[in-house]
Amino acid sequence: MNNIYLPQLVTIEDIYEEAPDVRSFRLVFKDKFLRDSFEFKTGQFGLYSAFGLGESTFCIASSPTRKGYIQCTFRRSGRVTGGLYDLSIGDTMGFRGPYGNCFPMDEWKGKDLVFIAGGIGLPPVRSVIWNVLDRREDFGKVTIVYGAKTVADLVYKNELEHWEARNDVRLVQTVDPGGETPGWKGKIGFVPAILEETATSAENAIAVMCGPPIMIKYVLNALGKLGFADEDVYTTLENKMKCGVGKCGRCNVGDIYICKEGPVYTAVEVKRMYNDF
Amino acid sequence: MENALRKKAKELLEKGEVKVVIGFGWNRDKTFTTPVFITKPEDAERLVWNPLCVNNLSVYLTRKFKDIQALGRPAIVAKGCDIRNILVLISEGQLKREDVFIIGVTCNGVVYRQELRKGELKPEIMPTKCHNCDVRNPHATDFVVGDKSDFKPPESPTGMVFNKIKEIDSKEATGRWDFWVNEFSRCIKCYACRQVCSLCYCERCITEKNMPQWIETSAHPRGNLSWNLTRAMHLVGRCTFCGECERACPVNIPLNVINQKMITVVKDAFDYKSGYDEKTHPPMIVFSPDDKDDFIK
Amino acid sequence: MPDNFLKRRDIGKLIASVRDAGGRFVAPALAARQAVYKDISSAEELDDDYILPRNSYKELVFPQTEVIADFTIGKDGVGLKGRDVTGRDTVVFGARPCEAASLESLRSVFTWGFIDEFCTKREDRLVVITIACTKADGACFCTTVDLSPKSVTGSDVALSETDAGDYLVHSVSEKGKAFIAKHSDVFKAKPSADAVVKPIIMPERIKGVDLEKIKKFLSDTAHYENPVWPELTRKCIGCGACTYVCPTCHCFDITDEATAYGGKTPFEGERRKNWDACQFDNFTLHASGHNPRDTQFKRWRNRFMCKFNYYPKKFSSKGCVGCGRCIRVCPVRLDITEVMEAISKRP
Repeated sequence: MNNIYLPQLVTIEDIYEEAPDVRSFRLVFKDKFLRDSFEFKTGQFGLYSAFGLGESTFCIASSPTRKGYIQCTFRRSGRVTGGLYDLSIGDTMGFRGPYGNCFPMDEWKGKDLVFIAGGIGLPPVRSVIWNVLDRREDFGKVTIVYGAKTVADLVYKNELEHWEARNDVRLVQTVDPGGETPGWKGKIGFVPAILEETATSAENAIAVMCGPPIMIKYVLNALGKLGFADEDVYTTLENKMKCGVGKCGRCNVGDIYICKEGPVYTAVEVKRMYNDF
Repeated sequence: MENALRKKAKELLEKGEVKVVIGFGWNRDKTFTTPVFITKPEDAERLVWNPLCVNNLSVYLTRKFKDIQALGRPAIVAKGCDIRNILVLISEGQLKREDVFIIGVTCNGVVYRQELRKGELKPEIMPTKCHNCDVRNPHATDFVVGDKSDFKPPESPTGMVFNKIKEIDSKEATGRWDFWVNEFSRCIKCYACRQVCSLCYCERCITEKNMPQWIETSAHPRGNLSWNLTRAMHLVGRCTFCGECERACPVNIPLNVINQKMITVVKDAFDYKSGYDEKTHPPMIVFSPDDKDDFIK
Repeated sequence: MPDNFLKRRDIGKLIASVRDAGGRFVAPALAARQAVYKDISSAEELDDDYILPRNSYKELVFPQTEVIADFTIGKDGVGLKGRDVTGRDTVVFGARPCEAASLESLRSVFTWGFIDEFCTKREDRLVVITIACTKADGACFCTTVDLSPKSVTGSDVALSETDAGDYLVHSVSEKGKAFIAKHSDVFKAKPSADAVVKPIIMPERIKGVDLEKIKKFLSDTAHYENPVWPELTRKCIGCGACTYVCPTCHCFDITDEATAYGGKTPFEGERRKNWDACQFDNFTLHASGHNPRDTQFKRWRNRFMCKFNYYPKKFSSKGCVGCGRCIRVCPVRLDITEVMEAISKRP
């Protein structure tokens, strides 16, 4: 019988400390066939099991250009993420997926890209960023605006350093007022305001953003001011999910089931949604 | 009686003494009563009072209903038994006496369930609580509607619930256990018992606490037993036997029996009955240095 | 014209032959003073006086709780095994036409893109025998949602009761025809000439309800914030009774439970799929504390939208079949038809 709720077993190959209470896992399938054949697209998500505690939904934070493993990043905040957080390298967990739609990256060839993320909203955007950087010549200018509450809360610190150092990426980092440290060289302010400051051109450009619901609303405004048309603005939404496959009935924003019809939407679609965030 | 009720409600709203009157109104077909929230003086005409007014509206005074609290100071139409719950809420610090205007209604009993009512109210369709009621003349009110009742409850309590308790008490421990396991096995975990209860006011119920998962959420015998027993324990010394949980139960679990049993236990051990005095705290939530048991010292 | 005839006194024989073949015979019977669908073994258990069983027979395809996988955690790592469902030949006898129409709606969800075989495999082996209603109560509103006691949607075999308590038999689906053929000893070929059908009770259509208007109102996202929602649903206490008795509500939770703890044996557990209700405040609560449906009216609005907008739009199936169970069980008598009526009256 085809059991759509049955996860695959994966091994934690490596663990990275990203920020207080935030960790990334590098996961490989136990099943050799699956390890070689597993495919996914940027923007898709999965359900991750801590056996005995349950499942939790996160995006796949790695890029499909990197084969043989998947990476996820999560914050310890509940029963399942708490259980996952306690796992060690070599431990087994479960994975179901990939689910959902993806970013239409092929349509973006030759365009400038601006990425906007807040806090733990960077992981889904990271998948796009690495996908772009791994085939850098396909795209135009790359700008990343990333902010978090405090300096400590910025995730992927090593990668931020790497992006900072690259001359084909413009990285603007910011922290909320009061979240800075004495040596902080980045900006201080909220993401939407800093985004406006960057004065990124909307000409032949695509914006990709992810962050908390409140940030999405303000970033949409800021992008509008910069001249971005709604159809060129993409975001990935998240809601509580249990099944991931359009059955359990809780991730809907109005008539739209994020697991099944999302999680990637353009601002046109977001603005058409019921106010059910 | 209804006219006096409507007049008072109208006056309270007009004077601005309260912003909302929580009371009973008719459904579309005038076959069932249902809670109504009157905010405009002219709508006070919608208020009704009759033996179908079974709901204990005090649940709407709890913090579970933030949007009702946002309307402003409430007046509530309450039977004596409902007022007992309000007093427990006050004694547990959930409400201040002055935060609510209590319109007490004298009551000659209500129906056990509204669908049972056909014609006159007969004792057979009244719940056990009504047969033993000592608050037909409501206590702790700000205003009373209705003529004084001279009903005297029987010396020793009577009614189906008490008969059932006697029957269960006469069983061996295994028999009592089997009885409850069987009754709880029907539970569908809809939590209507909890939601309709004004004393189940926790914003996060024990069933929703999952670190660790104290109570299994599955509606299998184990999960059902742990939920129903835990809820009964959380009501010990607090439950007023208003009967809302049993009335709300879609699968007819005799929750009145377990709750009344606990009430009797508390009465025997502490000589305490909840809901008569807002200044006395339920025995299970206070500690007294001269407690006759020394297990806690 | 009916296809066959079923004598009341032959029902016992039918029960026996279904059960002898390893099947289950589910019918309205009394439990705790009310009619519920129950697995019965004799015709004596049948309740003669029911209008509609309290529970929905959706639990025959979508049980309240079921194990979807077993796992162990021990020294040698994690073991995981998915459960299989083969289903069991099941007859639900005495279902009502309103409810039969709901299976289609459940199927739409459980086969949307991904196929939930826990449900489909059970449904494949389910035979639904409906009996046209000769009784109704104030909560029945099938006619208001364009169904009727004569509807046969979702039914495999449709029965009409005669004055003598026997049944005229109409086979509706292929499954129903096969069932009748298999039990030809009880489904007699010819209805007796003098059989008079009991009058069917048609619940009156609620005059103020206009389904088209409701659809239009709900489709307009601008009405989502309309104050009508908190006003109409203020009394809702947020229990899950309506959703659990509803034949089309399908929401569930997935949860892990321990069956044996540590010590010498490995930790053993089950992953379960349990009914859940959109009316519970933690249904959509994020771990971060954010809750998209943080007040009760939003949760009630979601259920209403789901029935009269989202699912009809997505699957062109009926989100509500008018069985009235939600009205009967509601502890505060929040009557869905009163909300339908109020919304129909909006400009």
